[in-house]
Amino acid sequence: MNQSEISHLVSKLRIKVNPRLRKFRNPEGPLGRLKKLQKTVTALIKHERIELNYPRAEEARMYAERLISDAIRHGDCHKTTMENANFWITEKQLIHKLFKVLVPRFENYHTSYTRMHRAPRPYPGPLDKKAVLELRGNPYPSLIPDNISNKHLIHNVLLDEAKKEYRALKYAEIAAKIESEEKVVLQDVNLVKDVTSKVEDNVKM
Amino acid sequence: MNFNLLIQKQLFCSLTKCYNQKASQRLLSGTTEEAKRQSELFFLESKRQKEAIGRIEKINVNYVGVPENALLLMNKNLSTPFDCAKHLGEVVANRSALALINGETIWHMHRPIPESCSLELLHYNITQPAVVNKAFWRTCSFILGAVINNAFKENVHVQLHSFPSPNVRSGSFIYDAQISLEDWTPNENELKVLSSEMVKFSQQGYQIRSLDVSVDFALLIFKNNEHKTRQIPNIAASNGGKVTLFKAGDHVDISKGPMITNTNHLGRITVANVFKLNTDIPGGPIYRFQGVALPRSIILNHVAYSIIEERAKKMNSARIPCLQGVSEEESGYIKPTIG
Repeated sequence: MNQSEISHLVSKLRIKVNPRLRKFRNPEGPLGRLKKLQKTVTALIKHERIELNYPRAEEARMYAERLISDAIRHGDCHKTTMENANFWITEKQLIHKLFKVLVPRFENYHTSYTRMHRAPRPYPGPLDKKAVLELRGNPYPSLIPDNISNKHLIHNVLLDEAKKEYRALKYAEIAAKIESEEKVVLQDVNLVKDVTSKVEDNVKM
Repeated sequence: MNFNLLIQKQLFCSLTKCYNQKASQRLLSGTTEEAKRQSELFFLESKRQKEAIGRIEKINVNYVGVPENALLLMNKNLSTPFDCAKHLGEVVANRSALALINGETIWHMHRPIPESCSLELLHYNITQPAVVNKAFWRTCSFILGAVINNAFKENVHVQLHSFPSPNVRSGSFIYDAQISLEDWTPNENELKVLSSEMVKFSQQGYQIRSLDVSVDFALLIFKNNEHKTRQIPNIAASNGGKVTLFKAGDHVDISKGPMITNTNHLGRITVANVFKLNTDIPGGPIYRFQGVALPRSIILNHVAYSIIEERAKKMNSARIPCLQGVSEEESGYIKPTIG
């Protein structure tokens, strides 16, 4: 098996994957770490938007992305994918949501399936960095301000005017082109007229 | 051993001091003596006006808006909308660009409130931001003036002339200045330097102060600028004998205002092009500096920004200054209202 075939075994994620995983030290060892992340992944699929500490959000995001992309690739009749889903989703009714709701939603996406924002930390309070992790296409109002729909915002005004100017330029170019073509046609017509008149003259002679 | 260490430490200290001094010299090389004189005068006059108020009276300011409506007890002729905003929180204070008093009068954020009123604070992402955009564009022109003043070497004589009324739709903000260079067309690098100077200036986070002064005082401030000296009587005549000055850092200029709160509201900035103008103004060629900028709160991708940047490189068709008559920005002092 050469390298190009190996790279197709695992789906390529559309997020940055950390080269070194976080330990999340706890008494149960690596399994305890996975249990923590199970909880987060399940909560993400259940609530579609969660606020939590930054390291855990970033770590859980990678597993959630992998789970969804595998579900899209292999579908619900693939044994390994089903086992994975069974492992990561602790509330079993959400496995149906993964295959029946999220897979159709994300099938044609060209971006990542989740989105992560830095969130403000409470002040005064613990110093941990906070993040908001959400599934794309969720039903909640957007977290980032809408700079697109209001055409009176300064950048939209500038872009609008630039568009108008560009169009005017293109229309002028097209008009000039049509005019020059008409001229050529007229010249041709005149030529034909000259030739025919000459021929007629010859015939008369 | 100890002694050696001490010497090393001292040497290191003196070296870093030297370096710091050099760095600060390079940073400060821009501000001219003239600008310092002007800002000093501005400061003294604002101090004098503040002291002339006398007994402090209280006014009620009724704030309407986020995070919640509030009734504030402020000082008459002393407190500004910015002071009110500081009571409402850091976020509100930092993002507010203009104040709206009694729902109709646009008010500069650093201009004292004379009577009890209701107050709204405007920022860049509101449903009808036309007024804010205009103030932003005017401020960009004003800051561009400061940059032109500072950016050239000492052997180049620079005199600011004026900037026309801001028009966002024209695609660029403008400053017209007289420069003792014949037939100068800036190359890419010179424009980049101008842009970065403007970014550096605006990132200093200067509060933009405003002051109404008499004609005599305005003439004193601008005694070394013949263009402004010529304009001042006309401006004062159309503005009830007063001239409105604005100051950011050490730069003082005339404008009818209002302007935005702070220079750090500017985000992405480009000085796009410089054109030589064909005018009858004596004393040297007049150049039109053009640029484009966006507020810090509005983030645009580089493709879209490059489109507006390209457009700003074309000559802006705003009125070219001439000897007779003054530009709209200076003459038409209308009480600024919303709309």
